[in-house]
Amino acid sequence: MTPKREMQIAYILIVVLLFVGVISYAAFPAKTPDEPIRLMYKTVAGKVLFDHKTHSADSGYGLACAECHHHPEEPEEGQTANVSCGDCHQTLEKDQKWPESCLDCHEAEDLEESEMTKKSDAFHSQCESCHQEVEAGPEEERCNWCHVM
Amino acid sequence: MLNHKKLIVSHAPFWHDGSSITDRSYHTMLAAMPAVLFGIFTYGMPALGVVSLSISFAIIWEFLINKITKRTISIGDGNAALIGLLFGMLLPATSPWWLVITGTFVAVVIGKHIYGGIGGNPFNPVLIGFAILMVAWKDYFDFNEVLVNYDLGFAMVYPLAAVKHLGTSGIEAFSTTDLLLGQQSGGIGSTFGLGLIIGGIYLILRGFIRWEISVSFLAGIGLTALMFNMSDPSHYASPVFHLLTGYTLIGAFFLAAEDSSSPVNFIPMLIYGAGAGVMTVLIRNLGSYVDGVVFAILLMNLINPICDKIRPKALGKVV
Repeated sequence: MTPKREMQIAYILIVVLLFVGVISYAAFPAKTPDEPIRLMYKTVAGKVLFDHKTHSADSGYGLACAECHHHPEEPEEGQTANVSCGDCHQTLEKDQKWPESCLDCHEAEDLEESEMTKKSDAFHSQCESCHQEVEAGPEEERCNWCHVM
Repeated sequence: MLNHKKLIVSHAPFWHDGSSITDRSYHTMLAAMPAVLFGIFTYGMPALGVVSLSISFAIIWEFLINKITKRTISIGDGNAALIGLLFGMLLPATSPWWLVITGTFVAVVIGKHIYGGIGGNPFNPVLIGFAILMVAWKDYFDFNEVLVNYDLGFAMVYPLAAVKHLGTSGIEAFSTTDLLLGQQSGGIGSTFGLGLIIGGIYLILRGFIRWEISVSFLAGIGLTALMFNMSDPSHYASPVFHLLTGYTLIGAFFLAAEDSSSPVNFIPMLIYGAGAGVMTVLIRNLGSYVDGVVFAILLMNLINPICDKIRPKALGKVV
């Protein structure tokens, strides 16, 4: 191969692959499925990988959506049935009683008496209660069964 | 004694045998193709985007640094394209564009051209780029996190992360055949074991890489993993598992054997390869990182000049 030919190949590689790369990024972005497959929760005690599909699919544990997504109990027409856990169970600021997202559907005065379970408590109670029920629960002080530490 | 003619060198002109850096670069890229194509087939267009952008930007950075430093344009030798390809092979398919562009800049400019260009780099440029990014933005290299939206029909948990956090009970879903056939999550071009082995054998047979480095690297991993496995089979995975997961195979055939950063003599090559293999398993089993190939090879790059001090004695002596 002559040096001139070598340079031509390099220029062709730049142009063609830059074009393919830009098109791939612009036209085919990585898709987020409507129903999550797996979720990675980032916590101060290490990440937790939750396999949503295994919990919900019939080939997996076949849990009904409402077993975890308990709110709203009776969604009105046009209302999202399955609110993400983290939409309501958030880590709240000091002096904050409920997350901003509650106000999307509720009036502030309706929420006066209510209190939101904080994120870590909600997740721990939801995961542990179900897992212990089927004897697949984490043992005491075995945080690393779920948390990557 | 002095009359013995060991080497006879005729005068010029000499006949070039036709081999060139360009040949070597493009043949290495060719050898990587089975693994790369498998990765693109598995992860789809996002993977094609990462690999394409990586190659093109590696060449662009080399072109720009040549211009800025007023040196001969060296992109024709294909080495920049090779760096780009290998860098793209290590990345997850979901890597954002800026990560690819930054990584190729670090690899080509900081990993290679700061040291004077091809042949002058003490470390593997691909690994310099990758290691700096991995330390800077570690979440983008957590395969369990970045591939959450992929469901490819096999256990999508990153095998090395599973064994590190759960012990061998966490990797029962992975059979040797599955791992060899790329049924595991990981970097775009790093999961198809069979393709990487075929590419590696091609490179060895063509003389583009030295078998001593690849074989001793794999042997280092295998033996160290075996010792760990024998000491505690519930915690430490088998040697076969370590050989077929993570960056082991791409490391053995495409990264550790990079010429400028690896030794040239027989014994040093064995020390270098085996040392990198041992370090890989030590980092995987005892260190805080899930995979150790990147840092293990970089560490052995560091001792490469010392390794090469072990060399054959010159014949004869000067009085």
